[in-house]
Amino acid sequence: MTALIEARGVSKRFRQHKRFPGLLGALKTLVTTEYTEVAAVSDVSFDIAAGEAVGYLGPNGAGKSTMIKMMTGILVPSAGTLSVLGRTPHQERMANARQIGVVFGQRSQLWWDLPVVDSFTLHQRIYDIPAARYADNLKRFSDLLDLTPFLDRAVRQLSLGQRMRAEIVMSLLHDPKILFLDEPTIGLDVVAKDAVRRFLAEINRERGVTIILTTHDLQDIETICPRLIMVDHSQLIFDGELGRLRAALGSARRLTLEFATDPGPLPLGTATLTSDEGLLKHYLLEREDVSLVQVLSEVGSERGLKDVALHEPDIEEVIRTFYQRRNAAAAAQ
Amino acid sequence: MLHRLGILPLLVKMFIKSQMEYRGAFWLDRLAQIISYGAVLLGMWILLQKFELLGGWNWPQLALLFSFQLLAYSLGASVSFTQLRDLEELVRLGTLDALLTKPVNTWAYLIFSGLNIGYAGHIILAVPVLIWALLAAQVEWSIGNALFFAGSLLSATLVTGAVITMIGATALIWVRSNHLFAIFFGFWELTRYPLNIFPGGIQVVMLTVVPLAYISAVPVAVLLGKPVPLLGDLAAPAALLAGPLLVLLAVAHWRYALSRYQGAGG
Repeated sequence: MTALIEARGVSKRFRQHKRFPGLLGALKTLVTTEYTEVAAVSDVSFDIAAGEAVGYLGPNGAGKSTMIKMMTGILVPSAGTLSVLGRTPHQERMANARQIGVVFGQRSQLWWDLPVVDSFTLHQRIYDIPAARYADNLKRFSDLLDLTPFLDRAVRQLSLGQRMRAEIVMSLLHDPKILFLDEPTIGLDVVAKDAVRRFLAEINRERGVTIILTTHDLQDIETICPRLIMVDHSQLIFDGELGRLRAALGSARRLTLEFATDPGPLPLGTATLTSDEGLLKHYLLEREDVSLVQVLSEVGSERGLKDVALHEPDIEEVIRTFYQRRNAAAAAQ
Repeated sequence: MLHRLGILPLLVKMFIKSQMEYRGAFWLDRLAQIISYGAVLLGMWILLQKFELLGGWNWPQLALLFSFQLLAYSLGASVSFTQLRDLEELVRLGTLDALLTKPVNTWAYLIFSGLNIGYAGHIILAVPVLIWALLAAQVEWSIGNALFFAGSLLSATLVTGAVITMIGATALIWVRSNHLFAIFFGFWELTRYPLNIFPGGIQVVMLTVVPLAYISAVPVAVLLGKPVPLLGDLAAPAALLAGPLLVLLAVAHWRYALSRYQGAGG
């Protein structure tokens, strides 16, 4: 499988005037010729193949948007090589632009005072979309995201959820091979988030559009992206499947056993008891290879077991564990 | 690339359509412009009633200078000023990022999607004053003179657009450009008057670093057969060449600034 996107040791550093504290410092800042370099992306490498859906995740300021801006040709990398669809994005920005779609969650690309459909028409002209193809895509995407009721309404009159749906549809009208989304669900309500997620998962699955998505919302990744790239302090810290992250971290599944009568303390070999409320006992299943059946057979049938609940760790928990361990490791050094 | 130009009229159409959403405000704005520039012209007239000559220029000659400057400025600024003044905001809010992901020339998109029809007010005032002044100032018309008039007006328009583009493009590097626009308008106000009334230092600046003398004082002096300080016989070719040369410089500067673009935030 050839990679659509290849990043090899990509870095981006921003140069800023050195800033000095205090009032005198502010005056000094005005005239200083000293610079500080801020690393937004440091030595990041990855390959993304056609048809993948990748979540690009990290805390604020980790360098997510900077990476998207380099892949879309807006910013020039300070070091390393970056290839998108066989091109260097910033050198062939326009050719690259024809084959990608970009959605910025916090920046509208629609014409504020005009009906949604006017922005779409302009998009058709800019990207030379044949009329039949355009009509076809518009109908299909509008149906999927329920855009038809407000296509003729001025953008300024739309809710944030409606606007974001329109932004996403517009970014797909020219059949891009890759769709970049920078925080597409930011600020949306639960219903709108869900509609956007289901739509993106579907166009990735059915049309094979490669998706790269940055987000704070882990649910986005859980629904849309089988693969996760995590960055922190400008560096890549994890690249792989979400399941592998869970396994690697050993973020344990939690098990709750409910008994009809209190069986007394009940330590198990397959699971660790974390709290004992008598009738309710909570365990952690720390090993991935231990199955629920194994645990239950160890408990046995004569203890009056009434009910069982198994909780898979959610992604927030996995990632929280990841960052906590990382910070702890850093502090220990 | 050429079929791409077909997008530009559509951009203009969309922009005008957006503007017409607020057409009450639009016409009120135009009226305000005519009144404010009319007041400046009136001020000059009152001054000339008292002194008769300003730097050797009489009232019709000064009215020619004023209207030539206003017309060249409004034509040049309509394809540059509001768009590039707002570039600072586009950079700050990150809207420019979205524009950079489109397969179009960024400058052309910016200009034509904001082509400022609001300069209609300037033009409505400038054209009749210009026609009256051309007749009253007793310009000695010849084919050469007529061609020079048209050529230098076009060149002055290009100077305006190029200088504004260069100032606006600094926002791509420094995020802010408004302080430079303040300096621009400081010098721009001086271009309503003959160059020879200013001290030598200002004359040099306006012919070189802030080359705004080419949008009015230089071409109008040539047209009226008046001497141009410092340039002498080179004034006519300089007036015609200033526009094209500054456009080339502005294109290079724009490209350089775009390659240095770092975005803001995010």
